[in-house]
Amino acid sequence: MSEKKTAKKVALLFMSGIGAISLAGCGQENTDGRVEVELVSYKPEAVDAFEEIAAAFNETHDEIKLKVDSPNEAMTILKTRFIREDYPDIVAIGGDINYSNFLDADLFLDISDLAEVGMVKQAYLDMEKELELVPKDGVYALPYAANAAGILYNKEMFEEHGWEIPTTWDEFTQLCAQIESEGILPLYFGFKDTWTCLAPWNALAVGLADSDTCNQVNLGDTTFQEAYRETAVKIRQLLDYAEPNPYAYSYNDACTAFARGQAAMYPIGSYAIPQIKSANPDMEIDSFAFPANQAKEDNVLNSGIDLHFSVLKNTEKKDAVYEVLRFLYQDETVQIYLNHQGGIACKEGEFEIPVELEGMREYIESGRMADFQDHHYPSEMSVDAMIQTFLLDQGEDSVDTFLTRFDKDWKRYNRDLIRKVQKYQEEMEGTR
Amino acid sequence: MKHKMSNRDKTFWAVTVPVLVLFFAFNTLPMIKGVIYSFTNYRGYGSYEFVGLRNYLDLFTDARVGKSYLFTFKYAIAGTVLVNVLSLVMALGLNSRIRFKSALRGIYFVPNILGGLVIGYIFSFIFTYILPAVGTTFHIGFLENSILASETYAWVGVLIVGVWQAVAMNTIIYISGLQTVPQEVYEASMLDGASKWKEFWSITFPLVLPFVTINLVLSTKNFLMVFDQIMSLTKGGPAQSTESISYLIYRNGMDGGQFGFQSANAVIFFIVIVLISVGQMTIMNKKEEQL
Amino acid sequence: MMEEKKKTNWVLTIVLILGTLTVFFPLYMAFIIAFKQPSEMTNDVAGALAFPQKWSFDNFRQAMEVTDFWRSLGNSLLITLATIVLAILIHSIAGYVIGRGMAHKKSFRFIYLYIVSGMFVPFSILMMPLVKQTAQMGLGNRAGVILLYLVFYMPMNVLLYTGYLKNIPIALEEAADIDGASTWKMYWKIVFPMMTPMHATVAILTALGTWNDVMTPLVIMSGTGQNTLPLAQLNFQTQFGTNYNLAFASYILALIPILIFYIICQKQILNGVANGAVKG
Repeated sequence: MSEKKTAKKVALLFMSGIGAISLAGCGQENTDGRVEVELVSYKPEAVDAFEEIAAAFNETHDEIKLKVDSPNEAMTILKTRFIREDYPDIVAIGGDINYSNFLDADLFLDISDLAEVGMVKQAYLDMEKELELVPKDGVYALPYAANAAGILYNKEMFEEHGWEIPTTWDEFTQLCAQIESEGILPLYFGFKDTWTCLAPWNALAVGLADSDTCNQVNLGDTTFQEAYRETAVKIRQLLDYAEPNPYAYSYNDACTAFARGQAAMYPIGSYAIPQIKSANPDMEIDSFAFPANQAKEDNVLNSGIDLHFSVLKNTEKKDAVYEVLRFLYQDETVQIYLNHQGGIACKEGEFEIPVELEGMREYIESGRMADFQDHHYPSEMSVDAMIQTFLLDQGEDSVDTFLTRFDKDWKRYNRDLIRKVQKYQEEMEGTR
Repeated sequence: MKHKMSNRDKTFWAVTVPVLVLFFAFNTLPMIKGVIYSFTNYRGYGSYEFVGLRNYLDLFTDARVGKSYLFTFKYAIAGTVLVNVLSLVMALGLNSRIRFKSALRGIYFVPNILGGLVIGYIFSFIFTYILPAVGTTFHIGFLENSILASETYAWVGVLIVGVWQAVAMNTIIYISGLQTVPQEVYEASMLDGASKWKEFWSITFPLVLPFVTINLVLSTKNFLMVFDQIMSLTKGGPAQSTESISYLIYRNGMDGGQFGFQSANAVIFFIVIVLISVGQMTIMNKKEEQL
Repeated sequence: MMEEKKKTNWVLTIVLILGTLTVFFPLYMAFIIAFKQPSEMTNDVAGALAFPQKWSFDNFRQAMEVTDFWRSLGNSLLITLATIVLAILIHSIAGYVIGRGMAHKKSFRFIYLYIVSGMFVPFSILMMPLVKQTAQMGLGNRAGVILLYLVFYMPMNVLLYTGYLKNIPIALEEAADIDGASTWKMYWKIVFPMMTPMHATVAILTALGTWNDVMTPLVIMSGTGQNTLPLAQLNFQTQFGTNYNLAFASYILALIPILIFYIICQKQILNGVANGAVKG
């Protein structure tokens, strides 16, 4: 009898343990019978915009509840959730390599039957297509907002000193030298956050290298040694005009320094504007495309999809999800987003270009834009850190060291992809 | 006659089996899975295929992984030596005839109870702003730039914070070691007129040697697994010079889509840790026997 | 006894008191920055060390809002307390059973080595499979974190308990056995209370480890909307901007609970840690 009792007590102990644990696991929310659509946004800084949008949506919809999550370090969290197979319904992410990988992993739903797809500017749909590692049929992303990167400048300071907007690389370096001679720091970098190294890199590379450079390398048509040499040489020259030891300062530090007038220009993307404004709301900022080339006509604006919506294949609420997408794509909703975040609408129509991007207008309107090169770099290769390493390298052959490594690492990190792409190419040639 | 299990045995097994199941399910099983993933090109989601030993072969040619091992070892060795020397000195000081003994012991332990992440953020600010300000004001050249921004010295910054936190724990352990040394031993040596230095090496040190073993194994293991400080101080930079193995596994395994490759890295890391710990204990055990 | 009265070493005392500055300085910095306004942040030494112009709790109020302080604190408390209680109950009896079993049976000797060798397993190798596994089992939440802590701390705690068991004479148990008490009852009535000093040690070591741990909750519960205190700090560091004053207010808030706990239980904590080292 006592044996049974013992067994019972042991069981009780463990049960109570498990009980305590499962109690801790509770916390399910009730959604009062409405269909809940979960949208995860990768832009924590856009949390206000999405809150306003979600509130507007939930006010007008009794059947559906839109829940928006904007966690920090959202990409890591999103990937962790994918590893857990815990999928939201919609993700609001950028048009970059992560999207390419998710798509390649077959996570997204084809949304070509959504009428809103027809309202997207063609340039952006093309950009999305280029992001497909291996070309796929269908549409998997609804482009929402684009950003532009180049140089942001302190308008007041420029007007005060009568500086002219440069249109060629020589004019640019001359301007930097002139600014410096007047006792002002021309450029500011926040290279402690390695990803910021990509901002000038991309802005230079779009003008100096082909937009499908990475694909060309995958097919064996070129090497980065060739394609990126000029970019590497020029990004290094920028250091001469920036604060000493830019690796000590973070993105935030750089935004604040620029906002306080500690530098005349800041090579970064339009996504930094809200952050700069938060440090100095009255600042007048304008921008220009990076004059990477000797000839003005060769310059291209670096612009990419900052935010698009993709629907997870696993969603069981396709109708509700489409309703949310339709709402998000109404002109008024797009405007709410732009009011908060700036940027360029991907939808056809009369949306204002933010005053800060006035200097880039002609490029935007004429469509002389190319996507960020790093949108094709695998994130585990950490090209941002490689650029930082390169900039820190004082050696004479640093450019060669860097580009050799770039080529070598690229082959290793993209091995499976290169095989896939070449196989696809062969198949296509076979069917021809 | 049928052997009947005694009540005692039954209770023992009734306790042991669930504990073993729990341990197996959340320690051994995931480890086995990790080993299996290490032979795949899994990204963590989507489909994957087995790639044989490729990940392992790659590990040995991957400059970034090599660099992270170099950094982690440099950090662990320097950290372990520094912490143990410092904490032994601290313990001797805190165990001698001083006033406010318990208050001082209490204060010196504070760094250990604070979270590595938050401490890292605080130090990051000090390294980036306060020390360079001190350097500029007093014209101390090497302080003028943030050490966290220097490829050569950033690891020292991480080391300072790691040591700052770890000394506390080891000091306490050494103090309790010193307290096991009977007072008479000292009194006897004092009669012999032994110098302090000699007294330490010939009497105190051998007696606290078992604690040195504990401390060495503990701090080596903790330093090898450094993560929080990297996350908050440098995020592996500048120029990937402070990427620890744990950080790289987390960063590229979870975030970078190298689930399979980093699993292989973790397997190797596990073997390394086991080898080091076992090695340390064997060596120290031999030393203890000799004395 | 006479030796005790020997004169105090004042030089050493003063050196050690000055040495506490290394402990206080970073905390002092954090403290004053937490009270300052962004406009008060200057780049010179005197300014950086000066007191804030006015002592306002605004930063703290804001930081509490941003990091959802009370909820994070609640989660941290829940996880730590549940882990401690379950660890004391389950690990102590496991340590007891394995420790006593080891004396007679090879199988228990093997089980002991199996569990204790878990100490060498770095979290990194378990991390990725565990993320998948806990999610599939519906444990990608606080409960999962508690359960994992129970497993992670099992090797150390079993080692501590079996080590301590050597101090408890087996004769007591044999006497109880003759009286006809079941092993189960005997354990909770006699052995469990006798292990109280070790319970304190286990509680303290487990608590220090779990309270400050970032990695486990980071990978297991990120994205669930639940934070622990350290996790909230991490999530507060966004890629796009930080207000240092707000951030430091938040750090101070995160440090305060454990500091208060430490000030109250300082003696027990120091003893507990020392105990763990001696017995381990």
